[in-house]
Amino acid sequence: MGFLYSANMQGATVQFHAWGGSAQVNGYLKWVSEQVEARYGIKVHHVKLADTSDAVSRVLAEKAAGNDNQGSVDLIWINGENFAAMSEHGLLLQNWVSQLANFPLTLPEKNTAMVTDFGLPTKGQEAPWGKAAMVFYYNQRYVSSPPKTLHELLQFAQRYPKRFSYPLPNDYLGISFLKYALLALNPDHRDVFYQPVTDTAFKQRSEVLWRFLDKLHPLMWKGGDYMVSQASTLQRLMSDGELLLAFSFTASEIPSAVKRYDLPQSIRTYAMQDGSIGNVHFIGIPFNSAHPEEAKTVVNFLLSPEAQAEKQKIAVWGDETVLDMAALNPMQQARFQSEPLHPSALPVSGIYQLLPEPHASWTDKLREAWFARYGERF
Amino acid sequence: MSGFHRFSITMRMMFMCILILPVFAGLVGVLMPAFGFFPALGETAVSLKPFSQLFANDNIVTMSWLSFSTGIFATLLALGGALLLVAVFYQRAWLNRIQHLLSPLLVVPHAAAAIAFLFILSPSGWLARLFSDATAANPLPPDWAFPYDPYGFSIILALTLKELPFIFLMLLSTLSQPQIELKVKAYLKVAQSLGYSHITAFIKIVIPMIYPHIRMPLLAVLAFATANVEIPLILGPNDPPTLAVAVLRWFNNVDLSMRFQASAAAVLQLIVTLAALLFWYLGERGVAKCSPRILLSGTRQWSDMGLTLFAAVVIGVYALIALLLVGSVFTWSVATYWPYADMLPQGVTFIHWQTALRSLAVPLGNSVLLAFGVTVFAVILVLLALEGEVQMTKGMSPALARIDRSIMHITLYLPLLVPGVAFLFGLVWFQQMYFSSLTWLHLFVSHLIYVLPYVFISLAIAYRRIDPRYIKVAYGLGKTPLTVFFAVKLPMLVTPIAVAFALGLAISFSQYLPTLLSAGGNIATVTTEAVAAASGSSRRLSAVYVVVQIIMPLCGFILAWWLPNLFFKPSLQATPSSQGVKVYESNP
Repeated sequence: MGFLYSANMQGATVQFHAWGGSAQVNGYLKWVSEQVEARYGIKVHHVKLADTSDAVSRVLAEKAAGNDNQGSVDLIWINGENFAAMSEHGLLLQNWVSQLANFPLTLPEKNTAMVTDFGLPTKGQEAPWGKAAMVFYYNQRYVSSPPKTLHELLQFAQRYPKRFSYPLPNDYLGISFLKYALLALNPDHRDVFYQPVTDTAFKQRSEVLWRFLDKLHPLMWKGGDYMVSQASTLQRLMSDGELLLAFSFTASEIPSAVKRYDLPQSIRTYAMQDGSIGNVHFIGIPFNSAHPEEAKTVVNFLLSPEAQAEKQKIAVWGDETVLDMAALNPMQQARFQSEPLHPSALPVSGIYQLLPEPHASWTDKLREAWFARYGERF
Repeated sequence: MSGFHRFSITMRMMFMCILILPVFAGLVGVLMPAFGFFPALGETAVSLKPFSQLFANDNIVTMSWLSFSTGIFATLLALGGALLLVAVFYQRAWLNRIQHLLSPLLVVPHAAAAIAFLFILSPSGWLARLFSDATAANPLPPDWAFPYDPYGFSIILALTLKELPFIFLMLLSTLSQPQIELKVKAYLKVAQSLGYSHITAFIKIVIPMIYPHIRMPLLAVLAFATANVEIPLILGPNDPPTLAVAVLRWFNNVDLSMRFQASAAAVLQLIVTLAALLFWYLGERGVAKCSPRILLSGTRQWSDMGLTLFAAVVIGVYALIALLLVGSVFTWSVATYWPYADMLPQGVTFIHWQTALRSLAVPLGNSVLLAFGVTVFAVILVLLALEGEVQMTKGMSPALARIDRSIMHITLYLPLLVPGVAFLFGLVWFQQMYFSSLTWLHLFVSHLIYVLPYVFISLAIAYRRIDPRYIKVAYGLGKTPLTVFFAVKLPMLVTPIAVAFALGLAISFSQYLPTLLSAGGNIATVTTEAVAAASGSSRRLSAVYVVVQIIMPLCGFILAWWLPNLFFKPSLQATPSSQGVKVYESNP
């Protein structure tokens, strides 16, 4: 074990900055906070962000003001471009992940996704926390056969005009939809997406995407004039019947939303046959955290089989574990055995094909090009 | 001059400093990056690049116009509605009832009102359900334009309905000032004896007389309407949004270089708000120029019937909307499945309340603690500042006293006239630079900036209305200024103090942007959680937050009306044995 629990950890409060828009995630973090306090005497305070970039700005502002060891952010839930931005500006603590006792359980040599964040090596700046893949869901009350591929999605939009939308691309789910479309529309040129983007490659590959979106947008909710800025709004619009088809990165949030009455009982979840974008999400510690040792203790707990199994329970959050079952003993594996499925849940092994996230440089290029074509950056 | 005099005058200075300094510091903190100076991002050369970057934006004109037009229209409509109501119902029994209807709406936070509007305006809300095709097997919600319509009608509607009660109550408060009330009543009598109808007389004579008194609050409403964030964020379009929302988005953009453009946009927001104020001023001049012809036309009767009917419709619509708003958030907060187009949910559940209250415990505590701290401080400071004003102006020449008053007046309205998005980001930068660990202090200060003016305005009227004869008698009996302040003035002000206290709490509860920015999200309040939940996945949870947001300030006001009567009614307490209040005996 790379570090010791020191006595002065007692009573410290770790500020955990994480997106707070999901009742499941919030509930799980409350459980984490209780467990960690009982075990290590560390309090975890979940700072509920509306947007993770708020916390990134916060750390940057602290760096700007010369605050190098009394930062207000101790843990931050990130991936993708927030990680890229923090890493670029030196806002994250370096090389601490390998110190965690539970990190080897993810078998990072075998599962390179545990140390790669959207094509960027994590360099020990962030620890994997969970896994996700994009799934679609529809309202069976109105729709009997949902689209199974991106091309069918366009036909769906023609048949049910103004009942589908995707969030603006500065939202995580919004840009993910564009990436899915880009990959699905270029089935024979996948390799190019896992290398840094070039202007020629982008121009060649994006042409077909713009043609697709030009046809899709007028058929979208509000004629494509208003696109939601947050993915969670999609779920609310689904609940109201304003949308008939939507998608999510956490398959399990759908049955639990149905159980909490936030989605109608006629909702069904499935995955596209032409592939589902998937990725890993991470926890980082800012360079100026006031409680780095306590923060590491918390992350190590988050990676424990117990905490990961709790997180994977549908009733709790349903976020897939990052631990590799091969690294666990039978007793630890037993914790992950799943419960019977809710009718609205994604069927077991419902994902046809996992499409890994393209290199991060594609994300920026794609977003910029989208905004240049369809609207200003907000 | 006694020690207490000096102390109270110092407190008055401090009061003014608390209002002025943060606003100026914040403006400096925004102006520097707007001109390209932000050492943290390695930019130290002054340039106009942020502005050229900003104006390269195709939508910049649309965004500015959206901010300008929604602000102007909402303020005009709210003013028109409020004047109509006062004109029609002044000196009538209904005035009290209307006041009772509108007062609670005043204290509902803007964010809560906007979320509640989202509930009734959206295609799956009650309005749409009411008009849906009942014969269809599986009716779909309509795809109408509201909310989020590109012209900002939803914003105008919400702002108008939210600001009308404020202007209405400001008018009533002006009309209830003794000197004005006497004059108004006398003038109305004369006008009516000359054959003018009640309403026409009010419009022609009273409105020009009282308008100057509500001018500053009205300009504050206008400034707020052009620059607020909550309502356009929740109800407005996003391609493009209003300028204020764009400023917020750019400041929070992942791409940190957007901060320069954000700062430039904040400066532009300041200009847009100033332009709106200037436009209003020119409008006032225009009206002043044209109105004599109408006022002196000699027409005794405008359609009193028509105006009364119109006012009744306004009030009816208001009552209906208030009922729909409250009914709809309350119903959603306990709803199980609620398929379109059923008028009621399939069942009742408290699961949303349980979930929300569990996660609201801490934010609720924070809100209450902060609001109490800020308001106690504000009320004490304002009382001392008012006492300081009396002491300071005592020996002054009338001209000097007038100048002093107008400086105070402008200071009071400074934080209400300068848009929050224009100075709060800069203020946060200063706070980070110098005292980064004192989050609660920053939060305290940024709430205080907004609470102080309202507490002052609400207390000043009562304070300046104290009958000077009591004070003279007390001094005549040899009491010190300190004793007079505590034993004579304060007991007479118990009810206004309680109301000002409740108002302070309500203002603090409702702050969104100052809380979000000063605490960097580290200290959640009910309002920040509610706005976050409004974009969240659960309409039902969001409804619970709104109900809590409505209940909180109302509790404050109910206590404010009820407690003084219970404990502190000075006339009941004034027995000969209680020291210092013997003056009451001569005045039963």
